[in-house]
Amino acid sequence: MLTIKDLKANVEDKNILKGLNLDIKPGEIHAIMGPNGAGKSTLGNVLSGREGYEVTGGTAELEGTDLLDLDPEERARLGLFLAFQYPVEIPGVSNLEFLKASVDSVRAAQGKDPLDSVSFLKLARAKCKLVNLDQSFLKRGVNEGFSGGEKKRNEIMQMMLLEPKICILDETDSGLDIDALQVVAEGVNSLRDPNRSFIIVTHYQRLLDYIVPDYVHVLADGKIVKSGGKELALELEEKGYGWLEDAAENGAA
Amino acid sequence: MTDFHNGLLAVNDEANSPLSAVTALNSSGADSFLAQEIPTRKTEAWKYTSLFNLTSNEEGYGRLAETHGAAGLDGLATIPALDAQRLVFVNGQYSKELSSNTEHKNVVRFSQADDAQKSIIADNLGSAIEQEKHVFGALNNAITTDGVLVHVGKNEQLKTNIQITHITTPQAKAFTVPARLLIVLETGAQATVVEHFASTDDEQNCFVNAITEAKVGANARLNHYRLQLIQEGSIQIGGVHIDLDRDANYDSFQLGLGAKIVRNDINVNHNVGGSHCELVGVYLPQNKQLIDFHSNIEHKVANCTTSEVFRGIMADKSKAVFNGRIHIHPDAQKTLAELSNKNLLLSNDATINTKPELEIYADDVRCAHGATIAQLDEQARFYLQSRGISAAEADVMLSFGFINELLENLELDAIRNLIRPILAQRFGRDEELMKHIG
Amino acid sequence: MTDNAEIDRQIGREYEAGFITDVESETLAPGLNEDTVRFISKKKGEPEWLLEWRLKAFNAWKEMTPPNWAQVQHLDIDFQDVSYYSEPKSMEDRPQSLDEVDPELLATYEKLGIPVHEQAALAGVAVDVVFDSVSLGTTFRETLAESGVIFMPISEAVHEHPELVQKYMGTVVPQKDNYYAALNSAVFSDGSFVYIPKGVRCPMELSTYFRINEEKTGQFERTLIIADEASHVSYLEGCTAPMRDENQLHAAVVELVAHDDAEIKYSTVQNWYPGDSEGKGGIYNFVTKRAVAHTNAKVSWTQVETGSAITWKYPSCILKGDNSVGEFYSVALTNNFQEADTGTKMIHLGKNTKSTIITKGISAGKSQNSYRGLVRMGPGAKGARNYTQCDSLLIGDKCGAHTFPYIESKNPSAIVEHEATTSKVSDEQLFLCQQRGIDTEKAVSMIVNGFCKEVFKELPMEFAVEAGKLLEVSLEGSVG
Ligand SMILES: Nc1ncnc2c1ncn2[C@@H]1O[C@H](COP(=O)(O)OP(=O)(O)OP(=O)(O)O)[C@@H](O)[C@H]1O
Ligand SMILES: [Mg+2]
Repeated sequence: MLTIKDLKANVEDKNILKGLNLDIKPGEIHAIMGPNGAGKSTLGNVLSGREGYEVTGGTAELEGTDLLDLDPEERARLGLFLAFQYPVEIPGVSNLEFLKASVDSVRAAQGKDPLDSVSFLKLARAKCKLVNLDQSFLKRGVNEGFSGGEKKRNEIMQMMLLEPKICILDETDSGLDIDALQVVAEGVNSLRDPNRSFIIVTHYQRLLDYIVPDYVHVLADGKIVKSGGKELALELEEKGYGWLEDAAENGAA
Repeated sequence: MTDFHNGLLAVNDEANSPLSAVTALNSSGADSFLAQEIPTRKTEAWKYTSLFNLTSNEEGYGRLAETHGAAGLDGLATIPALDAQRLVFVNGQYSKELSSNTEHKNVVRFSQADDAQKSIIADNLGSAIEQEKHVFGALNNAITTDGVLVHVGKNEQLKTNIQITHITTPQAKAFTVPARLLIVLETGAQATVVEHFASTDDEQNCFVNAITEAKVGANARLNHYRLQLIQEGSIQIGGVHIDLDRDANYDSFQLGLGAKIVRNDINVNHNVGGSHCELVGVYLPQNKQLIDFHSNIEHKVANCTTSEVFRGIMADKSKAVFNGRIHIHPDAQKTLAELSNKNLLLSNDATINTKPELEIYADDVRCAHGATIAQLDEQARFYLQSRGISAAEADVMLSFGFINELLENLELDAIRNLIRPILAQRFGRDEELMKHIG
Repeated sequence: MTDNAEIDRQIGREYEAGFITDVESETLAPGLNEDTVRFISKKKGEPEWLLEWRLKAFNAWKEMTPPNWAQVQHLDIDFQDVSYYSEPKSMEDRPQSLDEVDPELLATYEKLGIPVHEQAALAGVAVDVVFDSVSLGTTFRETLAESGVIFMPISEAVHEHPELVQKYMGTVVPQKDNYYAALNSAVFSDGSFVYIPKGVRCPMELSTYFRINEEKTGQFERTLIIADEASHVSYLEGCTAPMRDENQLHAAVVELVAHDDAEIKYSTVQNWYPGDSEGKGGIYNFVTKRAVAHTNAKVSWTQVETGSAITWKYPSCILKGDNSVGEFYSVALTNNFQEADTGTKMIHLGKNTKSTIITKGISAGKSQNSYRGLVRMGPGAKGARNYTQCDSLLIGDKCGAHTFPYIESKNPSAIVEHEATTSKVSDEQLFLCQQRGIDTEKAVSMIVNGFCKEVFKELPMEFAVEAGKLLEVSLEGSVG
């Protein structure tokens, strides 16, 4: 589904991703962990095409299509979804209007007609319920004045509406209470599908209790330095990242 | 003095107000008007706004309208869901049919004033406006024959909103509508006044010279809406002149959709201390319209605050002018004043000229202003794009949001609901969907 | 506020550069008419075309009236009471090198802390010294000549490179541009001429010190800098004038032409005599500075303005070529009765043109300090951008700080961003410094220097030091 080869990227002339490889097959869930500043969010931003993130080498393909040459919206329409670590507030643009515009454009790319406003409203309300957001959030500005947890639930709601192929969740669990964590997990699990894959960026093992990953990777200093099964997450929780760096250094020496 | 001066003054040749306060104002206004030159593009305050369309009109605007009936105007006269005591004027003439059918002790036309009200008019009319600095204020002083007084007594909090509506229709000959509103709030009084200018859909040929004066007493609060809706072809030149007493509050929202010429002068005087003024404005000209907002906030004394936000979107071949002056006098220490003006141009033929001005003669103040053109938030745009929305569509959504954001804070839902569909239509937003937001 | 007496003492500090050099001068009697213009032209042995050019300007000037819109209140200037030409008597046998320069003149520069030899030698700066109206000496001309750079008084360039002067003079600032530019065009005395050939990076900073010296002498410099394609030059202009009782008129014109891919950096430290603490005397400084930037060219104006009783100055950029860049960095400090009305104009004509405006206004005493600027996005300025930041600092409650930015756009893809703030040196900031053992004077100087840092870092090194020193001198103790 998503194949990343030797990806290198700069932010403000600083080399952040330093040759990252990742191969994600349909239906798989990959967890990415790693120390602060390692480049996890950068990976999400590079994949989704954010301005200012300059790719200096490598490739990223979604079902054989080269992502790196496309505009952000084209990537989204192909089925790439990024749940942001820090979703931006857009005052004045109502959440409802935003969601409809988004769903309509993704549908259009799939050759589907736009939904009429009444059916869309119904759909949006239903999704609101699923993520436990009050309907009034549809009327408010996009993320405007939402609490941290509400923003994250809003991200999950968008994911459910758009039904993407590859979902990247960047620390969607950070700052969530136990109930909200379950909402997120249920959202992801309800979308699990042999044709849909997930990248879950997280610092905590606890989310992985609810969403069981097929693989766990450690991203450090712009590279995947270790990969393993779900038990790797437990080991990381216990030992931190220090031992990995030591291991990496020893390995290199 | 020119033919143009005399032509306009002819409007009030025969009309004789029964109020001595008004006739006195008329004669001082006429003197002042005649003593002033008609501004040209060389006049700093009119650098970007040409009066050519007013001064060059062959038949001139120097006459009042013929009487026009109320038939078919109901829709224009009401603001849906606004609970208000309503006074409606058609082409400047009072319309009994379209107005609220009960009397209201706080609102009266000058011509109907009782003795107490007459003395309030005599005490206040013309006192907030510096006619030597505002040639069209002087004109209004000269040609006003009737007007509306809103008076709220000490500590009285007016529950009903006051709505003053001016509707215009085209007539055989171009004409002038002198409109005057005097608002007097005594100590501790509160009121919400909605001024509303609308017209039929046809091409208009009127010149509306509307001046509002407000005297906001100590600790009093005035919520003021001034809405200039679609009036294709008309010329609107006037403004508001506000005097604020100690700890007074003036909260205002101005909307201008533009016309042949729309010029609004907003003058607020912090006269005593502790007063606060909040100005929000939106301008949305299209076609070949011109709209010009000139605000001038005089901080004459210490400890007053001003917050001013104006935003505009210019479409087609339209043009907007914004001038926001904040003047801090030498004794106005501890002033807090800020002004923000943001603009978007939608077409290659649209123009914006903006000039936020600070003139500061006191040191212990915090003042800031900002003006931007076409600066949409990059992060917001990326967020929308990452959800599949095209860059162009994202820009339209953000532009709509940019104005909509100011509407969200309006206290009166009815006003928001009046404006939002107009906005939605401008931006090609889904009107059905818009009903479900806000 | 704190320690008023100390402050008054420091405000009262005398102008450091205040002295008059005793050099005999040949000065034209006051007055301006066609004959004055002819006299100046003849005296300089100018070609006919230049006389015609001057006369055309003079005739235009006669029809013009002085501008009255600037936020300054200067007394009406009697233009017939100004002398339009003066030169040191030793003109005929002018020195061929600095060694031959009148020692008294050189001493003047020593007093000002400008050791010409040393500075020239150590810092690699070529100094074209303008003393009153005539250039006296130029160093490093040979080094410059090797790379093909022409750097000489404009009066000489008229003879040596007439084709260049004739081609460019008045193309950026036309004779009739404004009242003072017209006056300058009619009677300009001298100034610098710089030409950098294609692809050449000027091997050193070019520098000129201006000085007004004669009683009642108007000074009308005219500078013309041409950077040919892909060339690069940094030009420094500095001035300081001796103390004087009567107001002096100064109306300069500076024209810059940056051809495709060229870059011109023009830095000014202006310290003309500002008048005394009563507002008596001081220079009237009415300057027209403008640049044209062609495709991919960059023009950067940096100025530190601490002097003159009245300043009226708007170094501007016409961003004509696509991708051209204009910058304006300014510190303007006014004290006592000084009035400054300064700013810039950025005229965006080409696609993807960019401009940045950073200004710091500091008002103290009873002075008035205004920023007046224009940012215009023309219909063709697709994708153009401007960023403007204007900050004012008030020191004391008798001064004024004003901001008048004109912003005009006719292009939907152009982005303009303007911000302005006003604040004062706060009691808390001062108290913190005092509490840490720093005296008021030093604290204010630190705070003001910090306030100006963004602009100072744009100055060439040698100038940055001078600018910091100037600011300190002009400011010392002006805190109330
Ligand atoms: N826009 C930017 N400008 C400058 N530096 C940036 C920018 N974005 C990221 N960086 C830098 O790139 C590095 C990687 O950042 P990134 O956000 O990808 O880390 P992360 O792995 O997501 O960390 P965290 O666990 O804290 O979220 C950091 O050093 C960060 O400071
Ligand atoms: Mg991160």
